[in-house]
Amino acid sequence: MPPRSSPTKTQSIYAPRPCRLLSVTDLTPQEKLFRLQLNDGSDLGHRPGQFVQVSVPGLTEAPISVASSPDRHGFFDLGIRRAGRLTTALHALQPGAQLGVRGPFGRPFQLETLTGKDLLLIAGGCGLAPLRSLLQYCEDHRNRFGVLHLLYGARSPADLMFKEDLHDWQKGACFNCRVTVDHSPADGCYDGATGLVTGLLDDLDLVPGRTVAVLVGPPPMYRPLLDALEHKGIAKESIMLSLERMMRCGIGKCGHCSIEHLLCCQDGPVFWLPEIEHLRGAL
Amino acid sequence: MLKRLDRSDLEKLLSALATGYRLLTPQRLADGTRLLRPHGEGALALQGEPVQRKPTEAFFPQHDPLLRIGEQGEVTTCDPPVRPVALFGLNAADLGCIAFIDRFFADPPADDHYLARRKDALLVGLTGFSGPGGDVLPPANGMCDLELLAFGQNWLGVPWTPRGEALLEGFPDGEQAEVEELLESARTRGNPAQDLLEKAAGLVASEVVPDDFWREVGDRCILCSGCNLACPTCTCFCVEDRQEQAVTLRSRVWDSCQFDAFMREASGHNPLGTEALRTRRRIHHKLAADVTRWGEFGCLLCGRCDRVCPTGIGIQAVAAEILARFGP
Amino acid sequence: MSATLTTCPYCGTGCMLYLLSDEQGRLVGVEPSAGHPVSRGQLCVKGWNAHAFVHHPDRLKTPLIRRQGALVPAGWDEALNLVHQRFRQIASAHGPDSLVFFSSAKVGNEENYLLMKLARAGYGTNNVDHCARLCHSSTVTGLVETLGSGAMTNTVACLDETDLVLVIGSNTTEQHPLIGSRILQAVQRGCRLIVADGRRIKLSRHADLHLRHRNGTDVALLNGIMQQILELGLEDRDFINARTENFSALQQSLAAFTPDRVAAITGLQADEIIAAARMLGSAQRAMLFYAMGITQHSHGVDNVRAVSNLALLTGNLGRPGTGVNPLRGQNNVQGACDMGALPDVLTGYQKVADPAMRERFASAWGRPLPERPGLMATHAYDAALADRVRAFLVLGENPLLSEANQAHVAKALARLEFLVVVDIFPTETTAVADVVLPAACYAEKDGTFTSTERRVQRFRRALAPPGEARADWEILSALLERCGISADYTGPSQIMEEIAAVTPSYRGISYPRLEESGLQWPCPDHDHPGTPILHQQNCTRGKGRFSPVDFRPSRELPDAAYPLLLNTGRTGMHWHTGTMTRRSHLLDREEHSAFIEIHPEDAARLSIRDRQQVSVESRRGGVRVMATLTDRVPPGQVFMPFHFVEGAANALTNNALDPESGIPEFKVCGVRITPC
Repeated sequence: MPPRSSPTKTQSIYAPRPCRLLSVTDLTPQEKLFRLQLNDGSDLGHRPGQFVQVSVPGLTEAPISVASSPDRHGFFDLGIRRAGRLTTALHALQPGAQLGVRGPFGRPFQLETLTGKDLLLIAGGCGLAPLRSLLQYCEDHRNRFGVLHLLYGARSPADLMFKEDLHDWQKGACFNCRVTVDHSPADGCYDGATGLVTGLLDDLDLVPGRTVAVLVGPPPMYRPLLDALEHKGIAKESIMLSLERMMRCGIGKCGHCSIEHLLCCQDGPVFWLPEIEHLRGAL
Repeated sequence: MLKRLDRSDLEKLLSALATGYRLLTPQRLADGTRLLRPHGEGALALQGEPVQRKPTEAFFPQHDPLLRIGEQGEVTTCDPPVRPVALFGLNAADLGCIAFIDRFFADPPADDHYLARRKDALLVGLTGFSGPGGDVLPPANGMCDLELLAFGQNWLGVPWTPRGEALLEGFPDGEQAEVEELLESARTRGNPAQDLLEKAAGLVASEVVPDDFWREVGDRCILCSGCNLACPTCTCFCVEDRQEQAVTLRSRVWDSCQFDAFMREASGHNPLGTEALRTRRRIHHKLAADVTRWGEFGCLLCGRCDRVCPTGIGIQAVAAEILARFGP
Repeated sequence: MSATLTTCPYCGTGCMLYLLSDEQGRLVGVEPSAGHPVSRGQLCVKGWNAHAFVHHPDRLKTPLIRRQGALVPAGWDEALNLVHQRFRQIASAHGPDSLVFFSSAKVGNEENYLLMKLARAGYGTNNVDHCARLCHSSTVTGLVETLGSGAMTNTVACLDETDLVLVIGSNTTEQHPLIGSRILQAVQRGCRLIVADGRRIKLSRHADLHLRHRNGTDVALLNGIMQQILELGLEDRDFINARTENFSALQQSLAAFTPDRVAAITGLQADEIIAAARMLGSAQRAMLFYAMGITQHSHGVDNVRAVSNLALLTGNLGRPGTGVNPLRGQNNVQGACDMGALPDVLTGYQKVADPAMRERFASAWGRPLPERPGLMATHAYDAALADRVRAFLVLGENPLLSEANQAHVAKALARLEFLVVVDIFPTETTAVADVVLPAACYAEKDGTFTSTERRVQRFRRALAPPGEARADWEILSALLERCGISADYTGPSQIMEEIAAVTPSYRGISYPRLEESGLQWPCPDHDHPGTPILHQQNCTRGKGRFSPVDFRPSRELPDAAYPLLLNTGRTGMHWHTGTMTRRSHLLDREEHSAFIEIHPEDAARLSIRDRQQVSVESRRGGVRVMATLTDRVPPGQVFMPFHFVEGAANALTNNALDPESGIPEFKVCGVRITPC
């Protein structure tokens, strides 16, 4: 006999909300962009930097950052790398598929503290997906911010995510957008910069007192980048970063995302550097 | 309102509890294991070491079905049993552990699944001369609906909530004086384990314990995960899906931070990627991180991890070693 | 809500635990038994997860019969009738020895007994064997010769009173964790520890001496140690004189094993060998532990003899804190051997070749018994390929993943006319069966297991089997009945009464006496308290026999084409072919894919990164697995667990067999690795 069940009266915090896959776009050979809509048509209600738990029956859930601005209505985007069983299953889905999501969860980029500031937005690898929610927000509310620098580094030209967006951001007036790749193949199709994303900082004109740096990238990116920012005179108090952990619940209960006394899913994923730099295992 | 219960009063109280609740009482099974079991299944074991399995299991079971997802994605939650549970015979440490995880799960956003089981449950403390061989256990001073302090052949009934008060109604009045000897005995004994824990915690929090130490302790770990599974304040869980005939049963399952895969990401990156880091986490979390986050130790000295560890590296053993090697 | 006291279904340590179920009868967890002398309120990670696979949706729930190439559901009577008819047909056309019965170290004693009764009395063949052939057949052969009994001589609790532990070829903390942890506890109270293992296993971090000898050179190492013990005059003369025979032959055989020569063979330093000899020779009480690292070689029996020689030479036998202690791998591999699920012996190692023994069983069973010892499991595949064997009944095993040289086994199974598999889950082997019978798992039936320390103890039914699945003893009883042998047992307890009546070492064993923590055999009568320590006054065979052995290299060593030595085994998380553990959420999550351990130096030379996919090839097959860079393995050696079908170590291993025990050389073969 299975455990006794009854229709949900009040929605449990563990119950996924049904949503529909509107479209799937290839971003890189490993990453796809999934555009989703809640079945009831409502907006997700997130803020830039937050994440959702995507539910695939049979494969549990995975935490995925929202890659679109809350001000783009009627859908939300998730940029997902194929890495484990669940993400591999997601990559096989076709538009129209039904999924579940819980959330949004976590502490977003603190827009109020960014208002009026120059922003130095730096993404590495698939970190561009979470940052995109903030980038779109900046585009939608351009007059709230000062100078907007966007630096993005990927492993190779093929690994550059959101190529169309990058093209627009590079051409447009909103961002001072610079892109680099670690290695460029010899075939010559790529004519951009090569080298680590830290290299893009070297000749960047920044006004330290007015600039807030926002960093989203894979764990190995942070240390060298923080050193480079220190070199540029950016105060620790002006650095915000988003950490990636294996959140299982999103609500601070499962324990998988803890960093000493902090829970990445509730106290983060976005942190100010001074909140975490002294904690073992944070960076 | 203190009450004095003799053995027949106690039986009356238990019968009353058994009518309104799924009553679990401490019983000693044939092989010597002392567990909380459905009342009446076996003989009561009112004295002894703490019940072996953590009592928090009643609200946070090892395998805990959360919900079902149907073929069309429709979700039905798995509700707790209709009759609330009454846990009888908890000592102060275990009551402290329940209070600890009550606060943890209720902290916003609250865990409705836990709270549904916990909401109407009743807790009965059993303290006084009810330790192993009739040894004295310190009074709980709250954290339960009612407490029974064992002395001689009797129990002093102390209600801590209106429900506890109602249950004690009708029993003869008791006097605080009757348990003076007991209270004095508990007082004079002090709590050397608590002192040890506090001193070790200070050393852990101030990062004077080197990574080599954690590696040495980790070398002794056989990765049974028993320390976490036995710990009443361990709340970490993983999520398991099982599909049968297109219906998915999603459950949460007790997890252990001592597993390599506990924090390992699909990419292979692992913030807790060594035995030393995981061992440090196990101790640091209880003695330092919980203090920072919740203002108190995550270890209430129930003794279970030390008892269940096959290689002698439970928290009290490790704390003693930390103090011996890095203390003043 | 119930709590059922039962025995863990994984390794041979024999821990007891409570299976806990909820109000609906579903298993929700496990709690160790506090009073049990081995588990003592503790468990290993597999024990803590022993409930986790039971409700897995993959469970086999109905008999399946192959029709037009596909396995389709069938009724029990139909399936059992088909099995019986086909076995009868094949036996009458080709003789009873064209049938082979694989018993199981996972099922109870009663079930092993019934299976060997079915093979011998029901179908008239001694072709009955089980996976002990793959793990401790070398032990049974070797120790029966030297001591008279093929089982662990002492008891786990002896670790509390020993002065020295030698662990050779056993990754004890991962494979027998509650024994490994007891060794660690002994070390913490001051006991000395020698670990002889090429891999840097966890125990080696606590060893006073870690001997990383080359795989397959155990005889040389042990002979070298014994040569030095004699050289140093540290042998136990009194014991040798009073309790042993053939000492002078041993003495002569050891002369050539000088430290320098042994160092050259094993790759050790001469002074390491001398140090080991000093420690072993001067210990008051030493326990020798070994497992697959000793037995799974083409010279496995010789390895066992060498271990036994060492114990006799130092007088470490028949006393508390001593002994030759082979660690049995499976929950009931000791019992399956005890029950005579072997081609040459009946229960209690009573030889089928002995007419008096045969007569005892023939009169008990009312059937004449076949005289000629049967085929060993590892020889059955060649026999199938040569059409000497035409039908297999496989009870709870997955030979397609567990036997050496997978391609060879696959070819042999495909050649069979009829294959019946009884199991709890679909496996690689059920996929090629003609009939699949769904069995109850350990949690759904009653019975007894015999642990590595010869402790016969109960497992108990905690819930009903899924669907139409039946206990193995019920399935086997139904086949016995079809053979015309009355088998209307009321339950396993009654079967045990029958076992006790025909088995001297089990004669005093009955269910009422097993209620708490069981009894250690020999238990010759109903008042006997059991025997924790064997060979106390005399060895089972009388004198302990020194059996000199010479060093023979492994059959296939690394060479230019296959330059790395492949060692295979298990991990702490998984169990054999993963049928249960890969369906246990936490265990599967911890290790969810095949891997190969490779030393960073070798990896650098081969341009292999950590976690990279690599191709591993031997002369017998190839697989793709993930590389794990670690100095646990020595340079030149790689290690693979055999749990994973998608990267099957046994596609690579060499089915070179020990000539006496028939065990394959799982521990040594040559491979080459290339990055993918």
